[in-house]
Amino acid sequence: MKILVPLKRVADPDNANKVKIPASGATIETTGLEWKPNPFDEYALEAALRLTEDGKAPKVRAGEVVVVTFGPKETETTLRAALATGADRAIRVDAADDKLDGHLVARALKALVEREKPDLVLMGKQAVDGDSNQVGQILAEQLDYPMATFAATMKEEAGGLLVGREVDGGVITLRVKFPAVVTVDLRIVAPTSVYSMKTAPAFKYNDGVRFAALPAIMAAKKKPLAEVKLADLAADQGLRVTYHGFQAPPARKAGIKVKDVTDLVNRLKNEAKAL
Amino acid sequence: MEVEPQICCAQFFQPDQSAICTSLRAMSAAEFDLENPTEEHRMLRAMVRDFAKTVVEPQADEHDRSGTLNVELLRRLGELGLLGVTVPAEDGGAGMDALAAVLVHHELSKADPGFCLAYLAHAMLFVNNLYYAANAEQRQKYLPKVLTGEHVGAMGMTEPSSGTDVLGMRTVARREGNHFVLKGHKALITNAVDAHVFLVYAKVDDKITTFVLERTMPGLSTDGPTKKMGMRASTMGEVIFDNVIVPEENVLGQVGGGIRNMMRNLEIERLTLAAMSLGIADRCMEIMTTYASERQSFGKPISEHGQIQRYIGESYAKTEAARALIYSVARKTGPTFRNRLGTDASKLFAAPVGKEVADNAMQVLGGWGYCDEYKVERFLRDAKLLEIGGGTLESHQKNITKELMRSGAA
Repeated sequence: MKILVPLKRVADPDNANKVKIPASGATIETTGLEWKPNPFDEYALEAALRLTEDGKAPKVRAGEVVVVTFGPKETETTLRAALATGADRAIRVDAADDKLDGHLVARALKALVEREKPDLVLMGKQAVDGDSNQVGQILAEQLDYPMATFAATMKEEAGGLLVGREVDGGVITLRVKFPAVVTVDLRIVAPTSVYSMKTAPAFKYNDGVRFAALPAIMAAKKKPLAEVKLADLAADQGLRVTYHGFQAPPARKAGIKVKDVTDLVNRLKNEAKAL
Repeated sequence: MEVEPQICCAQFFQPDQSAICTSLRAMSAAEFDLENPTEEHRMLRAMVRDFAKTVVEPQADEHDRSGTLNVELLRRLGELGLLGVTVPAEDGGAGMDALAAVLVHHELSKADPGFCLAYLAHAMLFVNNLYYAANAEQRQKYLPKVLTGEHVGAMGMTEPSSGTDVLGMRTVARREGNHFVLKGHKALITNAVDAHVFLVYAKVDDKITTFVLERTMPGLSTDGPTKKMGMRASTMGEVIFDNVIVPEENVLGQVGGGIRNMMRNLEIERLTLAAMSLGIADRCMEIMTTYASERQSFGKPISEHGQIQRYIGESYAKTEAARALIYSVARKTGPTFRNRLGTDASKLFAAPVGKEVADNAMQVLGGWGYCDEYKVERFLRDAKLLEIGGGTLESHQKNITKELMRSGAA
């Protein structure tokens, strides 16, 4: 199986240098930020690796995982980290961060999918910076592929996948035929969430995404990392989304202490108007 | 750490050195990364830091309380390729350098120095030592199981009545045909209780020789765990040799070649122990600065009180000095280029820094620091060991002076 995993880097929320907005509100200040892969994309990579190995120890690769990101040269760090985690090959689409929107990324990915011909495009349900939640859906529409979003479980079957999607009150199981686009939610990295046809049904993975093993870190530099120009993938680089201004969320107001349950109910009714 | 660009080098250099000045200015903090010379080091650090935070940290208190080694966790390190960090790739390791070994110990000790000590005893004292002393057959026989962690390793040098005075050891090996008979007693041995394989120093005709022993050999037994102040997530115990029959193919290197093996390995051992002190200092700095910014007294955060600022300022300066020393020495230490002075100096300087910064953190936290919730009491107990184990402060003072006298005389 061949899987394409689009990855995006996002500002590390744990880092001391937080996202700043200049007084003009025209842009987001990215200087000095530390970056990390979008967590949902890391989950997609983990799921892709699980689908392309046999689940035994030592694990044997039984497929190919190609990771792709859009951005300037320094986003190759994100790709190298993905290669060290186990991806086989990487592509950087050279682009400026502020000259992209979800629709353009989806259009360029469409061209890349037509070139690479993966069985599956596996990606995070959304990036945690813009929270747009649209690239996977637009891409599936553009390619006219079957789509499953917010996957919590995946089970490979001949020619496709059974995808479990958590909804209010239960789980919907969708059957998608390859080639397909699937976006993942956080539970996709639970120990028993993903089974390829080669993985024993009793096999349990470590919970969460895997750590990059040291030998793989050493091998990452030798794995292929190609650069593609955005213009080669998308002739029309027009943006559908324009940003009109940025504002930091208002500081949280101090809370209050209520005397008793009656006081709480009164305030919920009369002040918060929640009841 | 940011280098402030407005500080002009011209203040420190004569005008005719403006070329140096420009090149120094070009080498910004971002370009010169003392702790991560290559992208591989940076990725390795990111991985170990992440692993330490999410997997090692949550189990640390439990193993400190129970005084047990988390063997499963050691095997996770095997899966990640960390048990053979310094072993060349063709023999199943990662083929990285002393600096990589340093950074792994540095990052693990921010979460759990006790567990890190067991890792050190396994990966440095047993695996690294065995690798460089062994022949091809011995590597093939013993490496695979210690690289995965299926077998836990330990090293036996110290005896009940000989520590720093290593030549005073009394364990002897007597040759009988094609085997040796080992008799003696090792004490204060990290991992002794859990180990399957042991690298042991013993005297053959008064010449120190290295042997590799297996727990299943008749006559070999261990005692313990020995109860101790800190580093409780690793076990310590005695190893007793009651006429253990050891085949001659279990001699590592030459008969009488033990001192050479020992001295070569002691360098990376001291350096990684120093890195553990740095990890403790880094973690305690973080705990005390967070606390000092949140805790109020006399109507302001305690970080605004001069007495607290002295603890924080001095701890920071000493931690940074230890970091600079350890990492610059690590860049100049390896199996083919020895650095006895640098490694002795690193541990001599860093071990008291780790203890002092942990103690300062406890003082800043006051009563809360003495309680176990904020972890500094565990780090303080752990930090003390590094002034003793793998070379006492006094042995480093002795070694440095001896080395300087020797090079001065040459």
